[in-house]
Amino acid sequence: MRTLILLLTFVLLSVNNAFAAVGCDLSDPDRDVKRLFPESTGYKTEYVTIEERGGQELAGQIEAKLGEALDSFYETLDVPYAFYRVLKGKEVVGYVHGVNQKGQYGGMQLILATDLHGKILEFYYQKISSPEAKQFRDKNFTRNFTGLTLEDFLALTIPKGSQGVEIQDPSENSQKDFLATLRGVKKNLILLDEFVLGNNSSSVLQEGGNNNADN
Amino acid sequence: MNLVSLSYKNLIRKKIRTGLTVGGVAIAVSVLVSLMGFDKGYQRGLKSDIDKMGYQLLVTAKGCPYEAATLMLQGGGGLRYMEQEVYSKIIQDSRIDKVTPQLVHTVADPDKNDGQGGMMLFMGIHPSLLELKPWMEYKMGGWFSSETALEVIMGYEAAELEQRVVGDQIYVPGIDQVLTVVGIFKRTGTQDDGIIFVPIQTARDLFKLDNKLTGIGIKLKQIDDLVDFQEDLYNEPGIQVISMAQVQGTIYNLISSARVMTNSIALIAVVIAVIGVINTILMSVFERTKEIGVMRALGASRLDIFKIIWFETVMICFIGGIFGNILAFLGGHLVEQLVRGVIPYVPSGQLIYITAPLVFSSFLGAVAMGLMAGIYPAIWASSLRPVEAVRGSE
Repeated sequence: MRTLILLLTFVLLSVNNAFAAVGCDLSDPDRDVKRLFPESTGYKTEYVTIEERGGQELAGQIEAKLGEALDSFYETLDVPYAFYRVLKGKEVVGYVHGVNQKGQYGGMQLILATDLHGKILEFYYQKISSPEAKQFRDKNFTRNFTGLTLEDFLALTIPKGSQGVEIQDPSENSQKDFLATLRGVKKNLILLDEFVLGNNSSSVLQEGGNNNADN
Repeated sequence: MNLVSLSYKNLIRKKIRTGLTVGGVAIAVSVLVSLMGFDKGYQRGLKSDIDKMGYQLLVTAKGCPYEAATLMLQGGGGLRYMEQEVYSKIIQDSRIDKVTPQLVHTVADPDKNDGQGGMMLFMGIHPSLLELKPWMEYKMGGWFSSETALEVIMGYEAAELEQRVVGDQIYVPGIDQVLTVVGIFKRTGTQDDGIIFVPIQTARDLFKLDNKLTGIGIKLKQIDDLVDFQEDLYNEPGIQVISMAQVQGTIYNLISSARVMTNSIALIAVVIAVIGVINTILMSVFERTKEIGVMRALGASRLDIFKIIWFETVMICFIGGIFGNILAFLGGHLVEQLVRGVIPYVPSGQLIYITAPLVFSSFLGAVAMGLMAGIYPAIWASSLRPVEAVRGSE
């Protein structure tokens, strides 16, 4: 009994695994990938940082697409982004990627499953801290993102509004979390585009930029 | 041609066989070095973790540890609680150098882990905590504005996970409360990095735990007083006293059984490697019976033959020792990741701690292994009679 008391006290005092690192991995990749892609037979995980793929210059390009600066504390160049290439046999059938996003009351973990062209197949919150978390998690809200691509978001300039994507804020008093969600999903798609899809959106960005200027 | 170079040439005549034998020795040495490095690193990390708790004694309420752990894991009330009076009484003791009260509370957050739920760990603290843990410095911000402020100071990793900076808000599920971040601690490499700190009175108000405490951390002026002080507190009703030295000893004892098993594995690896070396050298000697007979007939002494065979064995173990240490260095990180994924509690810091003396002793051990393994084949070879050796191999 004494041994138990000593051990449990120490374990309770040593909850050093209560929080994850700053990257956004899937909490259970085997389960999550299979749920998102039931036909999949496996996946490959790749960790990429902005630092190793282009450094400050790439960060500038990402910020230009995002329409605002990356957070100087939690979106630094050395953040490791985990990309899951979903396999069916030897063939890649899609991608899963998550990002951390600052919300109004805490960190969000936004996970996207996309096809090979970056079109969203499913979006969900792996984590969200909000009094209205239930409304944000609701399938009626998250399924609005299905079918969207980065091109749909490039006309959207956070935090000015939600023009470009026709998605309604599901909350009553958490508009900041809604805007944070849009920003996070857009950032997720931009990083996927840069790191995995070979930067397909550059021309669209140019067009989008011109359109914005016209407006 | 001297005997060492002759031995070397004998070895490279059968490159694959020699390579495999060296590989076996290298793996055995690598396992041995990694396990000994793990043992050293674990003890070092555990000691560091316990030292960084900042106190020598922890006073908690008496209670069933299973129940306490279950409650903590489910969220809500944690350990059984002590009354504030216990703290008020303890601080009267003149043997105490520093003392700090704590109120730990976990909150179940249903929106973590993809809606499966997780925990948020809150700790109500008093300014005296920073006297016991002077290494806890602010990355940004500072202490609470008042004893009852609806404010938090976040551990480094907690802030990182919640993406908070000073001035941000944080939502506490369950009690539907929003708190303001006023400070973030620098990384300490301890459990404190994952905790959200609130003023102790705020914790009592928020979690409806009026006048309650879950722990009192104590540091004495004289470490020699520890046993007497502990004995005195044992007589107090309703509380139990846990010495951090005891915690350390208990964990050492618990892992010692695992250590016996891992050391046995290392020993088995070494024995297999030794048998492999003996087998290789014996095969080599059998194949060269005629050659050895000719050498003896041409004037080589028994000692010369003994030395040639012995040098071969030592060379295999010498090279195996070098590669084994390299392998342990390169594979240490991988083993560390594996261990961290498997063992429930792993201390912070470097887990596989490979020191120069460890490398040196393992290297000497490998050479000694070669010296021992070579005796029988060398004696066997040197005892061959020239005529019989030449005739026997025909």
